[in-house]
This record gives sequence, structure tokens and C-alpha cells, in this order.
Amino acid sequence: MNPASTILIAFPKGRLGDELVPKLAGTPLALDAAALNSRVLRIPTATPGVAALLLKGVDLPRYVAAGVASLGIVGSDTLDELDMDLLELADLGFGACRLSLCALAGVTLDGLRAKPHLRLATKFPKATEAWLTREGLTAELVPLSSSAELAPLLGLADAIVDLVQTGGTLQAHGLVETLVLGRSSARLVAARGAYLSEPGRIRPLAEALISALRRE
Amino acid sequence: MPVHTPHFPDLLFDSAARLRRWEAALMGLLATHGYRELHPSLVLRKAVPTGALRFFDGDDLVALRWDFTVALAGLLARGFAEPPDRVAYAGAVFRRPVQPWEAVERFEVGCERIQPEGEPSGEADVELARLLMAIPGILGLKSAILHLGNAALVRRPLEAEGLSPERAEAVVAALSRRAPHRVAQAMAGHPAAARMEAHAEALLSELDGPRTLDALGASPYADLLHLEREHMDRALQALLPILPPNLELRVDLADVAGLDFYTGPTLRLWAPGAQQELAAGGRYDHLFPGLGRPWQAAGFCVRLSRLLDLAETRPDLFEQPS
Repeated sequence: MNPASTILIAFPKGRLGDELVPKLAGTPLALDAAALNSRVLRIPTATPGVAALLLKGVDLPRYVAAGVASLGIVGSDTLDELDMDLLELADLGFGACRLSLCALAGVTLDGLRAKPHLRLATKFPKATEAWLTREGLTAELVPLSSSAELAPLLGLADAIVDLVQTGGTLQAHGLVETLVLGRSSARLVAARGAYLSEPGRIRPLAEALISALRRE
Repeated sequence: MPVHTPHFPDLLFDSAARLRRWEAALMGLLATHGYRELHPSLVLRKAVPTGALRFFDGDDLVALRWDFTVALAGLLARGFAEPPDRVAYAGAVFRRPVQPWEAVERFEVGCERIQPEGEPSGEADVELARLLMAIPGILGLKSAILHLGNAALVRRPLEAEGLSPERAEAVVAALSRRAPHRVAQAMAGHPAAARMEAHAEALLSELDGPRTLDALGASPYADLLHLEREHMDRALQALLPILPPNLELRVDLADVAGLDFYTGPTLRLWAPGAQQELAAGGRYDHLFPGLGRPWQAAGFCVRLSRLLDLAETRPDLFEQPS
């Protein structure tokens, strides 16, 4: 079998995936509803020869960079953390959120700056380090992979650097946004090899995704 | 990203035989066009970059040869008052991989066309492209794609706008990702932002045949780049009539790989479905002047290790030997 006969598109699970799936409904890249409701992670689309992989955002760029998936949708926050060699064809606009420094209500930015031993918990060490460097600050980074909001509450860290979309989760934990460090949104990414060696196959799919996902 | 498991592949019978066969065939092709082999030492002692495989020889830090072009340039600049005009090479280079699936030891065959500074270089560029066009047939690739680019399409506007090194680097990184929105981000607040964004849109708008060059007309730097456009147009006129049936020619205006090295036309060979380019090269006129020699040069390198991997993973892309 020719391993290139099916084109794979990597879609994220979780928050971005929840926004993405309804946008694809009714388009040539709509995901098969029955397969979506099952536990399979490789989902047929409405276009024969094109299938979707459902992956965790943090793993997704690796599948695309390695050329396993030709295209993918992933948050720019994840891309910036991983720095993989892949193409980033479009900012799709949805999934917009802020990467913010957040602390318990009443804790100020100046208060954090003045701490002799600042501890920051985050899933985004690269972006956090870049901000610390820009500010001329030093801090102990506490790497976490989930539920960072608990860290200031339980004394694991003085503050967190995390994604904020509506602020509801922060509010529920008594945290506030102290500073916005950056912004993130969904990006269409492509495997460099697939895009440059088979543009006739990959570009129309990329354009179909942009058209489906940018529409309001 | 650090790679903790460097990949040192052994070649078994089929791959070893294929390597010997391909190396001999490619060096034969180059020899028939007047390219003579030079073989720089495997161990280099000067200007060891961090990506090289380094070790101590007594008190001296040395490195395994990491790049033929750099090794040959040193050899030629040291040992020749006048450069040989055509040089070929074959062998292994050793580099720490950027991606985890890349091997440390990489086999290459390549060639360089060297001329005194100021001599017209257009014919040399076309000569290299014609040689590269013959290579898919020699390797038994059923089909291939040759991308023509030109590093000056990005270099010259960056220089003309006087961008800071950091901002220029961010623009190049954005173009490498083919991400126009990242170009806008990198140029935010700069007086040339609108011009550079429009230029990026023009460079990224097409990846196709000869008509792709027309996209340059939409760039604010179209006048600045008219010589480069003419050069690419002449190359296309020379190459299209002799295009082998299994080869497609595309113009890639946004090719910025190696932009800190390449100064003019670039060449990249792909096979449909391959994840990495199989050969690459271009003009690098700043290399020899940097070593004190007023010479200009261009060349390309065939990445045999990638081809060996491709022959293992995608045998359907190759003609089967009869």
C-alpha cells in the first residue's frame, strides 16, 4: 500500500477541538459523527482519502513536523513552546485567549517583582522565561501540566502563567490577571515536506480548512 | 529542543550497496562535466561550531567534518592562489540533529562552481541547475520537483529597510514558517511594516511554475528586485526546454532556508511525498571573501542519507531495478 494514499489532518482534543468540530460541520472536511462518538482517534472526514487524527495539543505539532499528518490545527501558545520545524499557514482567529500572569486577588505586579525568591508555576516555561528575561527578573519555575490555578492557593507558587479565555476559572479560584504576556489563537500548520513536495494535494485542503474555520 | 538519543544508523547490505552505487553514479556525472574531487580531512581543528561532534585530541578541541562546503572553502583558501573552477566531493558529515529522527552521520555528494569575483555568474547557476535536473533520473526516482528560489528576494529588502538583526531574524523565521501573520507581528511598530507585509504576501502567494514570478510584481520592492527577477526568468527560459519528463520545475519565492549563507539563486530537489528535501544548494558569494579570497561560488549537495531512508520507507517512489 502506498503510505501516502490517505492524507491525515491532526485536530486537537479539548478546548480548541470543541470549537473546531462544529465549524467543520457541513464542509468537505466534516468529521464522521459516529466515529466521533466512539473511542477511535482516527476519524473519517466527508472527503474520501482524508482522515482526521484526534491528538492532545502538546503532541500534535510533533505528528505534523514528522510528516505523519500533513496538516494540523493547534494553538499558537503550544507552537511557541515547542518550536518545531513546521509551516504555520494561517491564523484562524478562533480559540483566542491570553497568556497571562495571574495571582491571588490583592497581589500586585510590583509585589511579585519585589519578591527575592519568586516562584511561578506554569505549563509554558519558554514563554515565561522569555518574559522574565525581558523584565530582567529571575524566578524559580514550577513546571505543571494541568490545574495550575491550584498552585498559588496551596502555596506551591506565588503566581502562575497560564492561558485565560473568559477568566471564569481564575475567578472561581480567587485569582486575577496581573499582566497579559501574550495572545494565542488557533493556527493552521502544515508539514514542510508535504506542503513543498505535494502542493497540489495539500494546498486545496489547507484552503478548505481556512475557508471553513475562518467563517463566522 | 535538546535531543537525548542521537541516531547513529548502521547501513545493512541493501543500503550499503545502494550508497556505493549512487555515490559512484553521481560522482561519475560530476566528473563528466569537469568537476574534480577534493577530499577535505574528516577531522577539523578550527572554528568548531556548537552543532558539530566535538572531542579533545590531547589539549586541542577538534570536530568531525560537519559541512563539506565549509571544509572545502578552508582547504581552497589555504592551498590555492587561484581556485579550481569545478570541485566535487563525496563522503560523510557529522552534525547533531535538530529533529530527533535525523541521523548524526550523513552521507553526501556535492559540487561547487567557483569563479573570480565579478565574473558573470548566470551561466554557472544554470549549469548547476541542469546538473541537479539530471540527478533524479540517475537515482531512479520516478518523479521529482526542482524548486528555484533566490535568497536576495528577502535579503535585499531587509537590508534596504535597515532592520535590526533581531527584527530581521524574526521576519525570516516567519517567512520560513510561511506565516504572513507572523511577519506582521515581527514588523509591528516599524515604519516599513506595511511594505514588508505586502512583500511577504507576494512571496507566499504562489508556489507553482514559471508564472509564479509574476507575483513579484505585487511587491513594493518589485523595482529593487528587478535584476533578481530577470535572472530567475533567464534561468527558467534556459531550463524549461530541457526539462526531463519526470521532473517538475517550481518557483519558490519564499525560500529562506540558509538565508544567512546564501546570497542569490537557490535550488532544492524534492520527491512527491518526501518529508525532507533530497538535495539543496545555491549561490554563496560571501564565503570566500570572508576567508580573504576574492572568489564567488555556488554549489549543491545531494543528501544521500535522506535518499537511503526514502528508499527504505517509500520504495514506491523509485523505479525498481530490472
